[in-house]
Amino acid sequence: MERNVSIECRKPLQWGELDPGRRENTKIGMWAWLWQRISALAIIVFLALHMTLTYKPFVQLLLLLAVAFHATLGLRVILLDFNLVDVKYQRALVWGLAGLGLVVMGIIWFSTY
Amino acid sequence: MSIRTVRIFRYDPEKGGSGHFDAFSLQIENETTTTILDVLLRLQREQDPSLAFRYACRVNMCGSCGMVINGVEGLACKTNVSQLPPGKEITIRPLNHFPVVKDLVVDMEAFFKKFEETLPFFEPKGADAEPAQIRPDSRERLDIGLSTECIACGCCVSSCTMCRHHEGYAGPAALNRAFTLLADSRDALFEPRLERALASCYSCRTEFNCTEVCPKNISGTRAIKYIQRLALKHARSEPKPAPSPREHEAAPPTAARHAPPATAQPAPGACGQAAPEACRHAASAVDRRTFLRQVGVGVIGLGTALVLGGIATGVAVGPTLAKSQKQWAPLGKLSEIPKGEITTLMLRYELKTGPYVQPVAAPVLVSRLGESLVCFKSSCTHLGCIVRWDALSGRFLCACHGGTFDRDGNVVAGPPPRPLDRYAFRLEGDQLFVEVG
Repeated sequence: MERNVSIECRKPLQWGELDPGRRENTKIGMWAWLWQRISALAIIVFLALHMTLTYKPFVQLLLLLAVAFHATLGLRVILLDFNLVDVKYQRALVWGLAGLGLVVMGIIWFSTY
Repeated sequence: MSIRTVRIFRYDPEKGGSGHFDAFSLQIENETTTTILDVLLRLQREQDPSLAFRYACRVNMCGSCGMVINGVEGLACKTNVSQLPPGKEITIRPLNHFPVVKDLVVDMEAFFKKFEETLPFFEPKGADAEPAQIRPDSRERLDIGLSTECIACGCCVSSCTMCRHHEGYAGPAALNRAFTLLADSRDALFEPRLERALASCYSCRTEFNCTEVCPKNISGTRAIKYIQRLALKHARSEPKPAPSPREHEAAPPTAARHAPPATAQPAPGACGQAAPEACRHAASAVDRRTFLRQVGVGVIGLGTALVLGGIATGVAVGPTLAKSQKQWAPLGKLSEIPKGEITTLMLRYELKTGPYVQPVAAPVLVSRLGESLVCFKSSCTHLGCIVRWDALSGRFLCACHGGTFDRDGNVVAGPPPRPLDRYAFRLEGDQLFVEVG
């Protein structure tokens, strides 16, 4: 089959490019991935703050929050990678683990302060 | 009956440029029985004959009309207008990651090239006259499930953000195809296919975009994770495959152990036509012993991780939980504190908590009004503001909320809940020490 090479194609569209409604329709799995990256950056910032400003409970709380969040999202990937949780529960997994992380974080926080 | 605004991406190869949206207005009789494909066909017939899009079967079977509708990939023929937010405008745009030929038509050559690279065809292990008998309840059949239903519409590749950033990534559709064949023990091309799939299956970031948009409800993520686990298992049981991609000879030593009893008899089972020892069951069938071993490894691993994590957390957090130690800090010389007055002296010492040392400077109100010496903490017992001695009124005054204490530190007015706190002190000769910590 001969291709018409004279036709000029537009370069491929990308995710979110000229894409109204994409952000409202972004599903939780995508957010989970994105927020894990963002929380990783937040951990770097909060850790630096924590080292320089010792004993600022607010900074510690933020650091703990970021770490708990990052860890729960990491656990999600591990559980899915090794099929310890069926992929069909992936949406519930994000909420469930985030809730669990929050509870663990609360226990750590209130036993410390 | 409703009138909907439909915005459609337009690109004319003769004019070039980067494309734009054209808005159309369309009266729709019944939204629940009108698909996006109907909308496009009507617009093409009634309003703009130059509108280009691709379709064939109209019944979700061919996968030609994949496009992005309101920011979500889907088949135009499977998406009804009533499924979209009512009253709002509808935007239709071509798939991501494919060169746009015209309007909604994309060039899917790269997509099918990726398919080809994963060897998307079945290769029997040997000539067999009898048709294969596959039990519907066999492990393999259940694993593969409806993943063979892929119609290659390209929605998953369009929705996957990793397809943009990883040039060699085969994408969910091609990997799903590879998975259906890798999980099939009758197939002879296990090694080369696994090798090809492995080259790109670690580009998956578990975003589940492909799973969310698939019109056939196939999970690309599940397929990719399956291949990853398969590779892990395979790498463990067989360090390096023999360099003969066509001929797949004897199964790995673990396969014989993993073979469930049902396939030990030659006739039934998914691999009935092949010799049982040639069946690849390490891939999909998991017997009780393997399962228990895996669970055991998991439990031991989890336990080790918990213990190590606990120790690490204890080491890291423990010291900060310890109470700071009491110490005697020098405040000043008694002979330098005038009698009959209340003097403010600055107390300076280093607070040690765990590994941390923090310099502290706190004013102390030393009263020599009465017979004995009293060292008041200068923090108001209400919210910790610094109180000062007002000699004129003979009161300690807090500027924050009007807390007032008399000369003995008792609350006279204001919100403080208790008298001023006092330091324990001791005298060594002339030197005054107070207890802090």
